[in-house]
Amino acid sequence: MVPPAPEEATLARAAREGDRAAFGELYARYARMVHGILLARVPRSEVDDLVQDVFLLALRRLDGLRNPDAFGPWLAMITRHRAADHFRRGPRETSGLPEDLRGAPPTEGEAIAVLAAIRRLPEAYREPLILRLVEGMTGPEIAARTGLTPGSVRVNLHRGMQMLRAQLGREVAS
Amino acid sequence: MSDDYLWDGAGRPDPEVAHLERVLFPLRSQRPAPDLPAAGRRPLGGRLAALAAAAAFLLAVSGLWLARVGPESSWEVTRLTSTPSGETVAGVERLRVGQWLETGRTSSARLAIGTIGQVEAGPDTRLRLVDAGAPSHRVALARGVLHARIWAPPGRFFVDTPSAVAVDLGCEYTLTVDETGAGLLRVSSGWVGLEHGGRESFVPRGAACASRPGHAPGTPYYEDAAAELKRALADVDFGPAVARPEAVRSALASARREDALSLWHLLTRLDGDERAAAYDRLAQLVAPPEGVTREGVLAGDRRMLDRWWEALGLGSAGWWRLWLTHLPPDAS
Repeated sequence: MVPPAPEEATLARAAREGDRAAFGELYARYARMVHGILLARVPRSEVDDLVQDVFLLALRRLDGLRNPDAFGPWLAMITRHRAADHFRRGPRETSGLPEDLRGAPPTEGEAIAVLAAIRRLPEAYREPLILRLVEGMTGPEIAARTGLTPGSVRVNLHRGMQMLRAQLGREVAS
Repeated sequence: MSDDYLWDGAGRPDPEVAHLERVLFPLRSQRPAPDLPAAGRRPLGGRLAALAAAAAFLLAVSGLWLARVGPESSWEVTRLTSTPSGETVAGVERLRVGQWLETGRTSSARLAIGTIGQVEAGPDTRLRLVDAGAPSHRVALARGVLHARIWAPPGRFFVDTPSAVAVDLGCEYTLTVDETGAGLLRVSSGWVGLEHGGRESFVPRGAACASRPGHAPGTPYYEDAAAELKRALADVDFGPAVARPEAVRSALASARREDALSLWHLLTRLDGDERAAAYDRLAQLVAPPEGVTREGVLAGDRRMLDRWWEALGLGSAGWWRLWLTHLPPDAS
């Protein structure tokens, strides 16, 4: 695992002590990760609100963060749990595609179709692909932020991209 | 082809990966970072350029003089005029601290709250910018309708009304103030705190809360609650004293499990037998957690009230109290 930048652990410590500016800086650094993890799991229309929910949840649980070095993996775990809670709270459409496509401008149509294709991939591939292709994070950055090993992120990106190419190729062919 | 580009963006771009990056870009997280003092990430150059352009535009269209101001002391305002074919942009200007903004019957305005959110002022709205920038943004809503969407951490955006102060807790909401100064807060996402005279109401998504000049903020209620409960709460909060006993009875009787939100707030506002009755009804709907006793709650034990709040499943009592630390001394 690539360790997080030391200053992020410092920020996490300061945030835990009630420094709201430090928490704001963590928000700035981790918003893309949280957004991407949610986008891999919940309808797009609900992602922005859930990003806020996750950070509010993190803010109130900061006291329980024992290891500030692990802020990123801790926040990623909260985000995944929040996405799971979102579905537990009521029956929802799982792919998000029909809802997302309704009323989408033509320029976003392809984006939403590709997003739907990514969401049909096995779970292990969805998250790294969205963080890389949608959020613009690099593989090393994904590993450092989420706490996954660089090796597993690289393998999942590679395999996921292979499957995505095949899936998009099939859709074009059909 | 090597997957170096897919891995870290290095090497010759993989055409398919690069295409997917371009296609998917519109879905990327677009929310700006919270506007906090220590972040030091504000793109001052771009903002100053936009400010200069906006000021020039304003000089041209309205003849008003605007001093060159920093981005911390003003908001960008986009005025919108409704037409039969839809709304059109009538002009862009800046609203400085201390200035009033008024919209007409067929016009509205969209205001950018620094980098922390956006406000829409509906028709026939009058508001004044009280503070803009670190550590917080603040507006006074004299009348009309304000719709706010905030993406900063809690306690960064305040709205003063004639009857209460609304504090954003990370949320989206609509606040209406009528000619008498009475307010109605409706929350569509997150939480909003409403405070006046030391009394606080916490209003979650799907709930509303009324306020009246000279009174503490009303008891929050879910919008899908029974009409009987809403009427009863209005009487408890703002009605004549003679109507209060019957209103309390009616409110308690018509509350559902979901209305524990309202009953919990009532616990802190009623006294004597009425508080005891509220305790008993809330205990029927949501069992008090271990360590929370009738005697303690009736004595106003804050820790017990917080623990019971936690049991309601609405969120921790810890974070929603944080906003109080951001209230300036004269907030009430």
